[in-house]
Amino acid sequence: MHTQQTIASNLYSIGAERLALLGKHHKILMQGYLEGFIDETALSDSALKKLMAARIVWRPSEQQPLMLRPLVSELIASMVSDENRRQVNADVAERLVQIRNRVQAYREAQHKGDYSVAELQLQRLTEQVHDLSGQFEEAIDSLWNRLNSDFGFVRSLNDKIRENERAQQQLRRLLDGLALLDFNELIELAEGNNHLRKLLVSQLQTQLSDHHGSLLEVQKRLIELLAKFRQQQSRSLLINNMVAYLRQHPAYSPADYPNRTPVPVLFNQAAPIKLQAAAALDRASDRQILAALVQQLPHQPKTLITEHQSANFSEVLVNEEIAAHQQALKQDVENFYLEVIDNSESVSALTYLKTQNLPWDGEIWLYQILADYQSLPRDEQKMFSLRNEETPASASNQLMLISDIHIRLRVF
Amino acid sequence: MLQHGPLLERLLNGDFICKISNHDAYRHLSDEQTQQAINDYLRPLNRRLVSNEDRSVYFLAYHDLTLEAREHLSSQFALTVQSLLPVLEWMQLVQETLGRDSALTAGDTIKLQEFVLRTEDNQSLRHRLNALAADKFFNSQSDALDLQVKLIFRRLREHGYLLQPHNDRQYYVITGKVDYLIDIIRFIRDEEQLPVDDAPAQENLI
Repeated sequence: MHTQQTIASNLYSIGAERLALLGKHHKILMQGYLEGFIDETALSDSALKKLMAARIVWRPSEQQPLMLRPLVSELIASMVSDENRRQVNADVAERLVQIRNRVQAYREAQHKGDYSVAELQLQRLTEQVHDLSGQFEEAIDSLWNRLNSDFGFVRSLNDKIRENERAQQQLRRLLDGLALLDFNELIELAEGNNHLRKLLVSQLQTQLSDHHGSLLEVQKRLIELLAKFRQQQSRSLLINNMVAYLRQHPAYSPADYPNRTPVPVLFNQAAPIKLQAAAALDRASDRQILAALVQQLPHQPKTLITEHQSANFSEVLVNEEIAAHQQALKQDVENFYLEVIDNSESVSALTYLKTQNLPWDGEIWLYQILADYQSLPRDEQKMFSLRNEETPASASNQLMLISDIHIRLRVF
Repeated sequence: MLQHGPLLERLLNGDFICKISNHDAYRHLSDEQTQQAINDYLRPLNRRLVSNEDRSVYFLAYHDLTLEAREHLSSQFALTVQSLLPVLEWMQLVQETLGRDSALTAGDTIKLQEFVLRTEDNQSLRHRLNALAADKFFNSQSDALDLQVKLIFRRLREHGYLLQPHNDRQYYVITGKVDYLIDIIRFIRDEEQLPVDDAPAQENLI
């Protein structure tokens, strides 16, 4: 009894001292975790010795630099959810043996009436049962983490596919591990003892069946995600290979699918039908609404727009041909403004120029649109809202170059 | 049927309906009864509702292939063929420029500014973008990167490959129409037995 207490207090002081080492050198150790080796120059000789004695760092062979022990790396990986390095422990058999042995030791101690030993064994047993459950919990947490990040901790799609397959293997091992747990055996082990029954049967069983459910869910999602990855992979390949093929065969043209019988559904894309409606005066109930709409219309000027002569940016008309040219341009600009009035949305001058297949140079076109706008009386100008798409001529020259104009009818 | 008014209007307008472009409408279209009702309504207009194979996009097809219908389909197809290489090259370019590990799929978002910034700094990307913008499908006359990119994205939006959720904000979302384009490529590839592989090399499978 006495020696046991001494051992425990020894363990306590050594453990606390060594745990403190982790905190004391946290920056160097974390750097070591990230870089794969410990910077020995950053530590004093005695600190190095202490760290090695505490089995925190080690030297795998003479030529190798100092490294973190695998268990310490694992601890850090788990603490920071570093899925690249986190370990999943699926070994259940070993834990089951430990649990069986503890139950036996506990029963023997009870039999001998050695209650304090029995108490200690029960405490250790409780810890082991929790460890078993915690092992699954840790693994499941890691699996979910990887799933939810879409395996974002690796970069390439091929790596993601490999990581997903690795996760599925781990998962199968975990499920195999769960299958090793025979609840009939646990019920037998717990027979006649309330503590044991609670611990091994009701508590462990509920936890493990929860874990089992989670694992199946993770498995389903992993398989779905793998299918998605594979689909993405095949899509990338298809795109790259098709581009390569089309580049190598510039004259390639596909078969005449639209004139096949039957037409494959992918090529049967019907022409759009624009739905249009106009105000109807046949329903008395609508009249009030229509009247209100009419009142909201912008006031029509008494004079007609066409009476105004708009400025031509090139005034000098050399001969009739140029004059006809000029007239045609002005006519097209007028049609453009009519389109703006018909259209509730903003219209891009250059897009219109292109869609209407007009022969004008873009710059001349924009000039004439601005000229026509400037020639309108003030209150008519207000009917349109103009937005210039413009950029500075260069970083040092603040002269604004207009690349396109968007015009919209203002709704009052 | 009354509740599907706006949806019908979009379909008649030639829009492709997918989860991204209109989630609610897409959900309605996945319902067989709604499909039936829409088809009944469209019958006099010589239209019917169809989808690609995995039902990720819906659009309208002709019911009867009249002469006019065939003519439209031919010109539509010519446009699709013309757009094939430029759209695929654009997809490659975006994927590489933004450092994505997989091809663009419906729902991916692209920030225009980020794309411009990364292209600006990289001579080879800049060069490829130049060539792409000049392709007759995009037909850009400008040398300014910003304008080229804006034009490319606008054209793709007009063709339904991109969605711009906010008119005044320069970010775009890939729509299900990309799936449709991929389906078309697969179809042509299979039909004409083109040597265009999409299965990873054997070693990757093991």
